[in-house]
Amino acid sequence: MKFFIDNLPIIFPYDRIYPEQYSYMCDLKRTLDATGHCVLEMPSGTGKTVSLLSLIVSYQQFHPNHRKLVYCSRTVPEIEKALAELKRLMEYRTEHAETEEDRQKEKNFMGLGLTSRKNLCIHPEVSKEKKGKVVDARCRDLTNSVVCAKGREDPGSVDLCDWHENLGNMEPGSLIPPGIWTLADVLQYGREKGVCPYFAVRRMMPFVDVIIYSFHYLLDPKVADQVSNELSKDAIVVFDEAHNIDNVCIESLSIDLTRPMLDSAGRNVIKLGEKIEEAKTKDAAKLQDEYAKLVEGLQDSFDDEPDTDAFMANPLLPEDLIHEAVPGNIRKAEHFVAFLKRFIEYLKTRMRVLHVVAETPLSFLQHLKDITYIERRPLKFCAERLQSLIRTLELDRLDEYSSLQKIAAFATLVSTYDKGFLLILEPFETDNATVPNPVFHFTCLDPSLAIKPIFERFSSVVITSGTISPLDMYPKMLQFTPVVQETYPMTLTRNAFLPLVITRGSDQVAISSRFEVRNDPAVVRNFGSILVEYSKIVPDGIVAFFPSYLYMESIVAAWNDMGILNEVWKNKLIFVETPDANETSIALENYRRACDNGRGAVLLSVARGKVSEGIDFDHNYGRAVIMFGHVYSFGFPLGLGFDKTSIPYQYTESRILRARLEYLRDAYRIRESEFLGFDAMRNAAQCVGRVLRGKTDWGLMVFADKRFARADKRAKLPRWINQYITETASNLSTDMAITLSKLFMRSISQNPNENQTGISLWTLEDIEKAQAIQRAQAADHERQDNEDMEDDDYGDGGIDDGMLVDAVLSV
Amino acid sequence: MGSAVMPSVCAAKASYKKAPGNLELSDTHLQWTPEGKNAPVVRVGQAEVITLLCSKEDSTQTRMKVTLVDDANGFTFTFTSPQAIARAEREKFTKELTTIIARNRATRDVAIRVAPVVVPPPTPISTSASNAPTPRPGPEALRPSASRAVSVASDRRNSPVISGYETSNDYNLRKKVLLSNTDLAALHKDLVMGGQITEAEFWDGREHLLLTQAAADKQKKGKPGQLVDPRPETVEGGDIKIRITPQLVHDIFDEYPVVAKAYSENIPSKLTEEAFWKRYFQSKLFNAHRASIRSSATQHVVKDDEIFDQYLEKDDDELEPRRQRNEKVQLLVDLAATLEDHTETGNERDITMQAGRQKGALPLIRKFNEHSERLLNSALGELPPAKRQRKDSDFYQQIDLDDLHDSESSAGIRLEMLDRQRYFEGRMQRPGGLQGKKLDARTMAKGARAQLVDWQSKLAQFKQERKPGDAAVNTMTQNVSARLETKSRKNDIPDGLFRQMTTCQTAANEFLRQYWSAIHPPPVDLPTVAIPTPAQRTAKAIKMISYLSKTPEKIAALVKVAQQHNVDPLRIETAMRPVLNAVNQALTYDRNKKPIRA
Repeated sequence: MKFFIDNLPIIFPYDRIYPEQYSYMCDLKRTLDATGHCVLEMPSGTGKTVSLLSLIVSYQQFHPNHRKLVYCSRTVPEIEKALAELKRLMEYRTEHAETEEDRQKEKNFMGLGLTSRKNLCIHPEVSKEKKGKVVDARCRDLTNSVVCAKGREDPGSVDLCDWHENLGNMEPGSLIPPGIWTLADVLQYGREKGVCPYFAVRRMMPFVDVIIYSFHYLLDPKVADQVSNELSKDAIVVFDEAHNIDNVCIESLSIDLTRPMLDSAGRNVIKLGEKIEEAKTKDAAKLQDEYAKLVEGLQDSFDDEPDTDAFMANPLLPEDLIHEAVPGNIRKAEHFVAFLKRFIEYLKTRMRVLHVVAETPLSFLQHLKDITYIERRPLKFCAERLQSLIRTLELDRLDEYSSLQKIAAFATLVSTYDKGFLLILEPFETDNATVPNPVFHFTCLDPSLAIKPIFERFSSVVITSGTISPLDMYPKMLQFTPVVQETYPMTLTRNAFLPLVITRGSDQVAISSRFEVRNDPAVVRNFGSILVEYSKIVPDGIVAFFPSYLYMESIVAAWNDMGILNEVWKNKLIFVETPDANETSIALENYRRACDNGRGAVLLSVARGKVSEGIDFDHNYGRAVIMFGHVYSFGFPLGLGFDKTSIPYQYTESRILRARLEYLRDAYRIRESEFLGFDAMRNAAQCVGRVLRGKTDWGLMVFADKRFARADKRAKLPRWINQYITETASNLSTDMAITLSKLFMRSISQNPNENQTGISLWTLEDIEKAQAIQRAQAADHERQDNEDMEDDDYGDGGIDDGMLVDAVLSV
Repeated sequence: MGSAVMPSVCAAKASYKKAPGNLELSDTHLQWTPEGKNAPVVRVGQAEVITLLCSKEDSTQTRMKVTLVDDANGFTFTFTSPQAIARAEREKFTKELTTIIARNRATRDVAIRVAPVVVPPPTPISTSASNAPTPRPGPEALRPSASRAVSVASDRRNSPVISGYETSNDYNLRKKVLLSNTDLAALHKDLVMGGQITEAEFWDGREHLLLTQAAADKQKKGKPGQLVDPRPETVEGGDIKIRITPQLVHDIFDEYPVVAKAYSENIPSKLTEEAFWKRYFQSKLFNAHRASIRSSATQHVVKDDEIFDQYLEKDDDELEPRRQRNEKVQLLVDLAATLEDHTETGNERDITMQAGRQKGALPLIRKFNEHSERLLNSALGELPPAKRQRKDSDFYQQIDLDDLHDSESSAGIRLEMLDRQRYFEGRMQRPGGLQGKKLDARTMAKGARAQLVDWQSKLAQFKQERKPGDAAVNTMTQNVSARLETKSRKNDIPDGLFRQMTTCQTAANEFLRQYWSAIHPPPVDLPTVAIPTPAQRTAKAIKMISYLSKTPEKIAALVKVAQQHNVDPLRIETAMRPVLNAVNQALTYDRNKKPIRA
């Protein structure tokens, strides 16, 4: 259908539209017009992606200045889905174009997705490598400019990648014909034409209208520097499924160092020293040349590097980029190597400590200086200096140097930031462990650091997801001011999903994943009986989420021994998430087959785990989703009366969490309990939200933990879920829940009699009607305002109401 | 309704434990009542009867023995009527009982879930135990007995067969339908075996039952989902016993090919069958196979075993599975792609969120996934690699919001009908023809308003007459009390008479059905049915009418019997009146009708 929002013609690839999709688009347009940022929460499964793409593409095609869309999602399945959505949208637009000219314009619209070399490689040997890091390194060995130059001069002297070479023979800018290409399409195209899909996409990026890739490609400075540097400032940046964006920000600036890593880095340094000696005898001029360059300044020397050579970007953010000369004491290659050696030795010494140490970067640097006389300034240049050296020496198989690269990145980061970071040394994995396995955590506490350059650089940043309640948390954490901040309720003509809170088993024993009781046999059995009962009554697929891997693995074993799983086997097949991603993918595929076939299956997985992100369980793939326990982030459970001191130092990460909580409190005035509750609920909502797509889909959402019964906890759930939790359904025993579920399924399986059109489904006329009402209201409002003004204006020069209102708003 | 009024299928004089009495087979029970008593002494549910034995034809006494599911001793009855009659009576009982037994066995069969046994069933043994396990009845014993096949085959010979219609498959279906529906079976027995209507006639109009049965038969039962986990039972003396059945052996071989391999490599060259299993259940291999992590506890003795230990594999408890699989999964469920989408960053996740910390559970989890996949593959076949190749349409289907499509805009299916034009024209003309002039909305509104003038005062004046109101309430009360009375009154129609009435009624109904289906044949949409010619239909109608015309006589006879039993004949008449009316209707129609058109 085609309709207008203000003057903007929108092409929407369906005959109807949900009211929430329409308001979503209106708010989105408002953001784009105002060139500001926004936070939008739209119920899961109501076609968020299609509305977003449909509006932005309409916007792009309507305005002549053509702002590029940078669409970020979390996982490859989601990226692929967004690409498919875009592809279908463009097919629809082409089909429904009004003039031939328009049609041509739609056809020339280009959208691509980018993922790693590992996922896009079609080289027969390199693509077989299991690890992405190895694929990257081997690819570089075959494609970097030095090798290429050598190979082209003297064919056959070195191995080159034919697919990459073929790309060079093509016209730059038309490596891929216009249109929308999903990742699978690009792979297919690469195979057919014999060109490298990865570099084809990379090199086409300046020419595309839409680029879809993962959060990391924009947020992680190490990656962003390589792939996202050329994006223009007026690009529209969208973070879809952005409920975990703060974690991605933090992750991109945090580093862990371990003993094996330091040992390996030590070996790397020795190898590097040997290479330098070798180079000195063979090609001393090269090192001399490098030295001369470094005197002039680092940054300039990299500016013209081709994309094939980039291997390790600076972990720093753009504004910290250094345009100064490299300090003298690390300019010479052998000096730099000695410098690194000293630094690694120091870190090794630190690791020998057998008690927990937490310190700020400043105190770390001070200690470092006291012991080793290493200054802050050369440390800051570590990453860049290493990069330069590796380039000069023309090393291959860079994956072997990854430990050293990590150390260098750590050195640069630790010497650059004073605030928002903490160093924590954990000598033991757990409190009970006796064999030391030290880990040196360099942890970022402030999510706004990584995203700050994005907000500064791009005029419109859209943060959206199905579950980002409470909305004001994100602007606070990420330090930005949105122009629009909105959440939409779900309009339904009948309740398509039934949220239930089970607080006790049929035997009235309270159930909870609270640490003290979670391994209590009564609780384990009650959790089990919930699964057994639901496996009896729910058709097709059931997804169950556990709060952590550790808990899932132990409870699966316990259930098996108690014979609970035997009961489940009678009704459904059982699939379980495993540590291995590929293994789990195959299990997932089989799970879907079992659901399609009618045999039905249960999938046991972990909230915040691999499966919970990016895999949808709509329709028959998830008729019920069960949350076993309350999902506190960072795995460990907390009591209700939470205060700072009561965080058990149970696990490693809890120290990091505690540091983060303190930081949030001190820097942004977010209370610890507030953040924890928020975090737990967004994870839970994320899991249960995956069962719906479209308004005819239906599903049960079972929250099995007595802590969900508390109204203040539930208030943190997104509005669209919360509005359907009734008082009776918020404190149930298992048998009561089963009864309610049966009733619900019986009624939902009926053909919906009432026509949804006009209420939860809008036709074109409904949109126009809504717009007319809106206009009338606006006019009304304006008139009233005018009248008010006249009435209230006493001419005494005082503050009138209008001014007061404005004053309040601007606070 | 008490047991007294249960309709009996057949009855005879018979003695039990040398006491004379009456043996009776009802729809639900086999019961024996001593002479002169009302309550049966022996009363056995039909579902419990499992075998039937008869004395030899030439023996002096005509005896019959039934054994039950949970009572192998059973009951022996001797038919006490003169020998010829006794034989006939016993014949009748055996015929009925074989049907019942076959049915019981069929249901038991399902309950036990016999899977085809592929491996040669080894002799059952027990490990380190003295008790001999009871052998399970093989599939042979579970088949319906041969006598049943003979008796039904004779039925078939008796019934006239329309050639080309009857197939053995069809016959099996009918048998199944009748076995599962006792009422229908009773009717079938009365009418078809009684020779009143033919087999084909009986099934005419009941094809849907056969089709349903055929569809149900086509559904293949999949493998049950449970894991193979032979749980040992502890017997006296601290020994542990595991019962081995052919089924279990089959399952073990299926689930653990390595055991099958060991079996084929070591039997009979190195081990005997018995020793093989005994040692297997004590080996580490078995422990590794047990679907449990409790096996790590030294629950029972695990010995080193040089034969089985060489088949032992390393525990599959690493983060990566031992058996790497290279299948490319669909991108939409590809978790590995996300993992490799960008370099790993950030701090390690805390210990609870590191998958695979609970090493003992990993082999178990992997076993679950593999077991589920195996079950799925056994039902659906392996996933062909072509299936994994995605198409755009697959993708679109996964992202589509189907309710946003305008369903009304789709072109509907055109209704094909005869004389469409005439139908629509006829409809167009009719309103004009009937009313002649166009309705004037204004006049109508005016008229309506005129009628409503002063409605309030009219409503105020409205009075309800007392008498009809009272009368209505009275009738209602009477109705209710009458119904209450009927409900509370005990049914005192004697058992035999009641049964006769039921039979009479169902038979009459069946004749009516046959008659009317001959007069107005149902639309033929089933390809299996041979369409009867008009001549056949006329013949059938005539035959049915002749049967129907006897119905009033039968009812009259019933009324007479009722008088003998001191039952108010009026009640019988009332009960039978609807049937009588229907029959009379058919008879009247038959007298007036023209011969059936071609």
